[in-house]
Amino acid sequence: MSSLPVNAYLLLALVLFCIGLFGALTKKNTVIVLISIELMLNAVNINLVAFSKYGINPGITGQIFSLFTITVAAAEAAVGLAILIALYRNRSTVQIDEMNTMKH
Amino acid sequence: MSGELFAFLVLALLAILGGILMLNLTKVIHMLLSLVLTFLAIAGLYVMLSAEFVAIAQVLIYSGAVTIIMIFGIMLTRHNDEQKNQGNLTRNIIVGAGVVLFFITMYISINQVSFGDQATDLHVENTKQIGVELYSKYVIPFELMSVVLLVALVGAIILAKRDDEEEAEQK
Amino acid sequence: MLENAWLIPLFPLLSFLLLIFLGNQWREKSSFVGIGFTGISFVLSVIVLFVQMTNGSGGAEAAWLTIGSIEFRVGVVVNPLNALMLVIVSLVSFLVHIYSKSYMHDDARITTFYSYLGLFTFAMLALVISPNLLQLYIFWELVGVGSFLLIGFYFYKEEAKAAAKKAFIMTRIGDIGLLIGMILLFWQVGSLEFNEIFTAVRDGEVAEGLLTLIAILIFIGAVGKSGQFPLHTWLPDAMEGPTPVSALIHAATMVAAGVYLVATLFPVFESSPAAMTVVAVTGGFTAIFAATIGLVQKDIKRVLAYSTVSQLGYMMMALGAAGYVAGVFHLMTHAFFKALLFLAAGSVIHAVHTQNIEKMGGLWKKMRITGPVFLIGTLAISGVPLFSGFFSKDEILLATWYDGRYGLFTLGLIAAFFTAFYMFRLFFMVFTGDSRSTVTEVQESPRSMTYPMITLAVLAIFSGYINTPWFGTFLGDWLIGDSEFLPFEHHEGPVWIMLAASLIAFAGIGLAYLIYYKKSLQRDFLTSHMPNTYTLVFNKYFIDEFYQYTIEYGARAVSYLGSFIEKYIVEVIVAAVTGVVKSVGSLGSRLQSGQVQTYGAVAFVGLAILVFLVVWTGGYL
Repeated sequence: MSSLPVNAYLLLALVLFCIGLFGALTKKNTVIVLISIELMLNAVNINLVAFSKYGINPGITGQIFSLFTITVAAAEAAVGLAILIALYRNRSTVQIDEMNTMKH
Repeated sequence: MSGELFAFLVLALLAILGGILMLNLTKVIHMLLSLVLTFLAIAGLYVMLSAEFVAIAQVLIYSGAVTIIMIFGIMLTRHNDEQKNQGNLTRNIIVGAGVVLFFITMYISINQVSFGDQATDLHVENTKQIGVELYSKYVIPFELMSVVLLVALVGAIILAKRDDEEEAEQK
Repeated sequence: MLENAWLIPLFPLLSFLLLIFLGNQWREKSSFVGIGFTGISFVLSVIVLFVQMTNGSGGAEAAWLTIGSIEFRVGVVVNPLNALMLVIVSLVSFLVHIYSKSYMHDDARITTFYSYLGLFTFAMLALVISPNLLQLYIFWELVGVGSFLLIGFYFYKEEAKAAAKKAFIMTRIGDIGLLIGMILLFWQVGSLEFNEIFTAVRDGEVAEGLLTLIAILIFIGAVGKSGQFPLHTWLPDAMEGPTPVSALIHAATMVAAGVYLVATLFPVFESSPAAMTVVAVTGGFTAIFAATIGLVQKDIKRVLAYSTVSQLGYMMMALGAAGYVAGVFHLMTHAFFKALLFLAAGSVIHAVHTQNIEKMGGLWKKMRITGPVFLIGTLAISGVPLFSGFFSKDEILLATWYDGRYGLFTLGLIAAFFTAFYMFRLFFMVFTGDSRSTVTEVQESPRSMTYPMITLAVLAIFSGYINTPWFGTFLGDWLIGDSEFLPFEHHEGPVWIMLAASLIAFAGIGLAYLIYYKKSLQRDFLTSHMPNTYTLVFNKYFIDEFYQYTIEYGARAVSYLGSFIEKYIVEVIVAAVTGVVKSVGSLGSRLQSGQVQTYGAVAFVGLAILVFLVVWTGGYL
C-alpha cells in the first residue's frame, strides 16, 4: 500500500530525539529540560508506533506500549513539576545550573 | 508524489520546526508552545501509522495535559523568565558534537534496516483491538500502570505540599 | 697496663665535657680543670712510655661491629712511635694549657677556649693510639674539627672566620684522598687493621700499581693535614687563632698528624718506590718553597708558620727517603722547639701587642726570659751544633744522601740555609736594635707563661741527644725495636755532611747577622736587584690567588651551570609534572560540579562515542 519506508519514520524520530537530547543537556530552565525529555519520549513513541505497523512482527503491541509510555510520561511530568515547585520554594530559582547540591 | 509522502513530509517538517523553535526561542513560554506544534504533528503521524487511538491520546495528554502542567510550572515559578544566556558555549559545542556523532551512528544503523511486510489490519477497529489486547494480554501491566499513576499523584501532592507545612512550622 | 692506655685521651675529653656543660660561670677557674686533666694525661703518657720501654709493645682491642665475615675493631695499641707521640702531644698540650692561663687571661670566653683545647687534645691523643685506619680516620676528622673551632676562636674577626673555613676545607680535600685510599686498601686487604695491612703488603697481596695509588692517596691526606705543597695555604692563615693554639696545633700536634700517618703506614709506603719518591719530592719541594716565602714575611707568626711548613716538608722528605727514624726524630725535636718558638712569639705579642716584626726591636733587654728561650729555639731550628735540631736535621740529610737522592739532599741543604737565615732575621729584628714599638712599657710575661717556655727550651736543647751518631742511636733502636715491619739501618754518615750542615747553618746566621744586626749590608740589597722575585715571594708565589682564579672561579662557573640547570631544566620538569597533576585534578574537581546537566552531558558523550565505536567496528569491539 505504502511506498514510504519505515526508515523515514525512524529518521524523523532520530531527529526529534537528538533535538530533545540537546535541549535536555544544554537548556538552563528546568521546565524546558523537562519538556525536552518529553520530546525524547515522543520520539521513542514514534518508533514504537512505526514498528507496530512496519516492524518484523507487526501488531497492536507497539501501540499499547506507546500508550504505556504516554502514561508514564504524564506521571513523570506531574512528579517533575512537583519537585520543581518544591525546589523553587526552597531556592527561588529554576535555573538548573544553580542546583548543585549534588556536589556536596 | 503520493499523498502519503506529502502528508509525511509536511508533518515531519512541522515536528522538526517545532523542535528547532524550541531550541532557539528565548521566552520559556514560547518554547513550550512551539513544542505543542511538534506534539500535534506527531499525532498526525500516528494517524498515518494506523494508530488513531494513540493519536487521540497524544493530543489529549501531551498537547493538553502535559503542556498545561508545564505552563502551570512556568507560571508558578518565573512566568516571564527569559532564556538569556545559552549557557556554557564550550559545553554546548561538546554536547552538540556528541549529538551529531550519535546522530551519524544511528543514521548509519537505520539505513541498514529493512523490514518485511506491513500489517494491514491495524486501522480496522483500532480502539477495539487495543482494548481487547489490554484487557487480555496486558492486564497486569495495565493495572500496574494505574498504581504508578496513583503513586505519582500522591507523590506529587506530597512533594508540592510538605514544604508548606514545614514553613508553617518554622514560622 | 698498656691495655688501659685508652684512659689517656679520656681525661681531656672529660675536661672538654665538664667545661662545655658546666663551666659557664667558672671563667678563670676553668683553666685549672684543663691543666689538671691534661696533666694527668701527661703523667699517664710518661708511665705508658716507660712501661713500653721495659715490657715492649701492647694494646687491647674489642670487636666493634661484624658485617658478614668482616669485623671492625676498636682498641688501643702502644708501640714505640705511639708512645712517643703520646708523650709529645700530652706534654705540649699540658704546657700550652698552663701557658694559656695567663695568655688568655682577659678573654671572656676562656672557658670555651679550654674546652676546645680539651677536645682537640682528646682527639689527637686518641688518634695516635688507634690500632686501625678507621678509628684513626674518625679521630683524624675530630682533630680537624678541633682545629676549626680553635682557629675560628675569634669568630668575630672576619679573617679568623675565613681562616677557619679555609683550614677546614683545605684539609678536607686531603681527607678525601685519605678516605679513598682507605677504601681501596680495605677492598684489597679486607681489613683496616694496621697489622693485617702490613702483613698483606709484605706478602705482596696488593698489586704494585694499586699499592702506589693507595699510598699516594693516603699521602694526599697527610699533605692536607701537614700543610704540604700544594695544600699548604691554610696553615699560615691559621695563625689567626690565639697564639697558644698555633703552638699546639700548628707546631706540635695536628700538623704532625700527617707525618705521623705516613710514619705509621710506613711499611705500605716502603713497598712502593714510586710513592716514596712522591713523598720525598713533595716534602723536599715544600721545604725549600716555604722557606723562601718565610724569608720575606713581616708577621712574626707567619714567619713561624712558613718555617713550620718547611720543617714538615723536611720530615716528609726524610720519610720519603726511607729515613723513618730521621723523620720521627725530627718530628719530636721540631715539636719542642717550634712550640717553644710559638710560645715565645706569643709572649712577645703579649708584650708589644703587634705581630709585625717591623714594629718590634730591642726587646732583648726588656724580656730577660723570652729573649734567651727564643734564641734557644732559633738555634735549635737553625741546626746549630749541639742543639736538638742539629741532630735531627743531620739525620735527615744523611737519610737522603744514603737513599741516593742527591738532588733532594742539595735542596735540604739550601732549605737549611734559608731556615737559619730567616729565623735569625726574625730574632735580630725582634730582639735587637732600637725599639720601634709603640708600647713603651714592655714587661716580661708572668711565670705561668715563662715556665712552659723554659721547660721547652730545655727540651729543645737536650732532646736531640737521644739519637746521635756520637752517643748512640737510642731512639732509632727503640723505634724500630721489635717491629717486624720496619727495616732499620743506621748510617754512619760521612763527617763532611755534618760539617756541611753546620757550615750552612752558620752561613745563614752570619748573613742575617750582617744584614739585620751589623747592618753592613743593605736590607734591600737583594730586593732592589730582583724586585719581581721579591714581589713573587712576598705574595707567597700567588698560590692563593692562583687557587682563587682557577678553583674558586671554576667552582663558581660549575655552580652557575648547576643552578641554571636547576632553575630552567629541573624546575621546569617539576613544574610540568605538578602542572599535569594539578590540571588533571582540577579537571576532575570541575567535573564534580554538582551540575546534573554536566554529568548527563559527560555520560551521554561517552555513550555516543561507545556506540559510535561499536557501530564503526561492526560490533566486534
